[in-house]
Amino acid sequence: MKSVWTKVYQTLSSVKTGISLIILVGVFSAIGTVILQRPTSEPDVLQRNYTPETLAILDRLGLTDIFHAWWFLVLLCLFCLCLIFVSIDRWPNAWKVYAKPVRFATAPFRVGLPQSVKIPVRNPNEALSVAGRVFARFGIKAQSTTQNGESCLFGETQKFSVFAVYIVHMSLLCIFAGYILDGVVGYRGNIAVPEGEVRNTITLRDNKGGESKKVLPFSIRCDSAGMESYADGSPKKWWSKLTLLENGKEAVSKTIIVNDPLTYKGIRLYQASMGQSSTPKTLSFDAAPVKGGDPVRLEVPLNGKAALPDGETLSVLRWVPDYYIQDNEVFNKSDEAENPAVQLGVTNANGEVKKAWILYRQANTTEGQDAPYVFSLKEATWSQYTGLEVSHQPGQFGVWIGVVLMAIGLVIAFYTQHNRVWAMVLDDGQGGKVLWAGGTSNKNRDRFQAKFEQIKAALQQELGGTDANKES
Amino acid sequence: MSEARVEQQPRAGNGTALLVLVGMGIAFALIVALLTAAKSHNGPIYGEANMLYAALVLYTGAATLYMGYGVSGIERYASSATILTALGFLANTAAVAHRWSVAGRPPFSNMYEMLLSFVWTLALLTLFAERAYKVKIIGSVTMPITVVSVILMQLLPSDIRPLVPALQSTWLQVHVTLAMLSYAACAVSFAVAMMFLVQDGMKSESFQALTSFGMSAVYAAMLITRFRGGALAVTAYDLQEKSEVMVERGHALFIQIPDLGWLYLLVLVSALAPLVLYILGQVQKNRALFDMASKAMFITIALQALGLAIFITRVKNGQYTSPVAEGQFYSTAMPANPFLLAGIIGGIVAGLLYLLLLWRREGLQKMMPSSDKLDAVTYKVICIAFPLLTLMIAAGAYWANQAWGSYWSWDPKETWAAITWLVYAGYLHMRITRGWKGRRAAWFAILGFGVVIFTFFGVTYLLPGLHAYAAG
Repeated sequence: MKSVWTKVYQTLSSVKTGISLIILVGVFSAIGTVILQRPTSEPDVLQRNYTPETLAILDRLGLTDIFHAWWFLVLLCLFCLCLIFVSIDRWPNAWKVYAKPVRFATAPFRVGLPQSVKIPVRNPNEALSVAGRVFARFGIKAQSTTQNGESCLFGETQKFSVFAVYIVHMSLLCIFAGYILDGVVGYRGNIAVPEGEVRNTITLRDNKGGESKKVLPFSIRCDSAGMESYADGSPKKWWSKLTLLENGKEAVSKTIIVNDPLTYKGIRLYQASMGQSSTPKTLSFDAAPVKGGDPVRLEVPLNGKAALPDGETLSVLRWVPDYYIQDNEVFNKSDEAENPAVQLGVTNANGEVKKAWILYRQANTTEGQDAPYVFSLKEATWSQYTGLEVSHQPGQFGVWIGVVLMAIGLVIAFYTQHNRVWAMVLDDGQGGKVLWAGGTSNKNRDRFQAKFEQIKAALQQELGGTDANKES
Repeated sequence: MSEARVEQQPRAGNGTALLVLVGMGIAFALIVALLTAAKSHNGPIYGEANMLYAALVLYTGAATLYMGYGVSGIERYASSATILTALGFLANTAAVAHRWSVAGRPPFSNMYEMLLSFVWTLALLTLFAERAYKVKIIGSVTMPITVVSVILMQLLPSDIRPLVPALQSTWLQVHVTLAMLSYAACAVSFAVAMMFLVQDGMKSESFQALTSFGMSAVYAAMLITRFRGGALAVTAYDLQEKSEVMVERGHALFIQIPDLGWLYLLVLVSALAPLVLYILGQVQKNRALFDMASKAMFITIALQALGLAIFITRVKNGQYTSPVAEGQFYSTAMPANPFLLAGIIGGIVAGLLYLLLLWRREGLQKMMPSSDKLDAVTYKVICIAFPLLTLMIAAGAYWANQAWGSYWSWDPKETWAAITWLVYAGYLHMRITRGWKGRRAAWFAILGFGVVIFTFFGVTYLLPGLHAYAAG
């Protein structure tokens, strides 16, 4: 059992696996942009572009919805695991470099350093303090350690640089965690709210193109909505004034525009579209008295009244946008104002109500019905509805934290470097003494090399010697 | 080594004058041909159109001088080229500033404006790279790119269009600025990586194969999207209205130029020939095939130039129809087909750069920094590009979250930006943990820029997606 785990651990913590996973994710992502994807393309577009057989095969392989396919998620999860294991695997080493630096350069260690110099010294007792001063001049604070009677000077700069890679890897995990959290508990849907009305049920879309309903923990009232256009007719601004109602009380109110959503209790409302609702705001009728006389034009709000010339009041009793008749009853079959029917009521001074229907497409008149006027529908003003995108993505904070972390990590990774220098006084093997100085850096070796050359020159100047490495 | 160079000096000197003349002649013919095809401009002398025209002239001069420097090695050419680049950059800045002040927003909203900003950034980076890294020859790669871009811009619709609501966001400006900076940095890393391959002694036939591969990819992309049974589909363009002819909103009408498809298929075959011969030569270890590949290369460059000429004449003179157009004839124009034109010109420029390399390799190598330095510069430039790329994606995600309620929706542009990021992340890992240096790293950097090009152009013109704004 143990060996299996070790194997899995070893496989997942190798850079090779990581790179392979990166390549796989990249290749499948690329395929996902070439083959039309179900969530973003309409079904008929897919059918137009692929034969039914091809489409069936693509669907079976999950290639029409790669980014939500289980195997793509498995790839991403493996990638996360790889990041975690790589980090665990490399961490002890990095921590050692950070917390327990090699303060004393032993002989084998000295040989392994990429940069070093040996300068003959006349006054061995002062050589180390000279080296310390030179290091300090280059911004490196050095301290001395003694082992077996030998002293070694050690200094380092920007040692936090060793953590950069961990910060970047953690930030990626943060982003993935946020993304996965959103995939599990988050949702996205849309809702259309006509001006002046209240709605609380959004339509969710799933990745297969199906729909379902969800009731929000609050209601949305659209107080007003509108759009502005440029002179050439292209849209300039869409806006809606929204008020959110919670338990019947007004909780928050804001005018939203595109790019400026309203956020309440983690749910964000976006301005997505704008349109005319199928419910009219007002209807205008011509009313001709049955007993004779000139017809008058009346405008009636859908939920209001208008006064008729002889003291009666006119009201709209029912508005049916797309009617059909069955068993002598009027029913509605859609919300589109395709084939509207209006039932009017005329209330006289005694409170008696006479009702009449206008079936707009068939007979735009109430002639022959039991009412003191003949009405015909002349005009309608329509209310706007605002199309809102509603999203709940609690994981996005993980994503933004990850992004900030990554920015910090990358700056540390690319623009800081961990430089280490050592200096010791050694025997030159011919009875004399030399000052040995060596150094290394975790990245940008060429830049460090240039810096070390400067340190070398300064040391030579201070100690008045030349590089004994070169002489020998 | 130095003796060998001295010996080669006079031999190289003989061909130089001829080559400079030929190169300038081709450049001149190309530009005159395109300018006749381009729109004519007027307006105030300091206005955008005139300033851009000035920038074009200056950049063309700079590009020619840089290439002349590449051919002859005369230092004075390089310093004059720098001055012209700087002047062109000033004119370019004036054009950007003028457009910015007229539009009242930074110029990032369509392909024309993005190219304007891209050219500006590339010129700036060229000047910077010249000063900071002392790689003068880099202008011979980057300046032709700016020239092609500015010519391309002359052909794109340049009227200032009002911003639709989704684009009215500061985050979008941040996103696009970062995109331009990072893509320009990627372009520079590509140029330096190519120079590394030249300096590192990669065989000329390998460059030939690479060039052939690039050309074939471009022609294959054009034919895959535009080949219609022997004809070539182009966008219908109304010369009076100065706008594309639309079938419906967002869908331009394609008309077919008969037989041009066959010609371009022939060009594709000719572009593939050197690559195929190279591979055969490698497999059969037959040098004679390499010689044939060289001849095929000359044939394809000539055919491509012919293809461009025929394309221009057929686009300018003649009306065409297509099955969709129902027997009606429409004209077309260069502005309507930036994708095709960019591909054709890109292929020719790649061919010319290859010829430059073929004929003046030793001279070029002498002018370039050492291969170690070029290798280090490639890495350093990617160290700048990668954080910018990261922040660009993050800013884009933040903007998408503000505008659409989703920070990541796997649309093709997003996905390809992520793939670009992955490629460069792979480069950095191979370089830092695996110690990949030299050729392998250079190939990786070249691959990275290939992906950048695809993300920038390919996704907009080849793949469907939410980013349709950019095509306008």
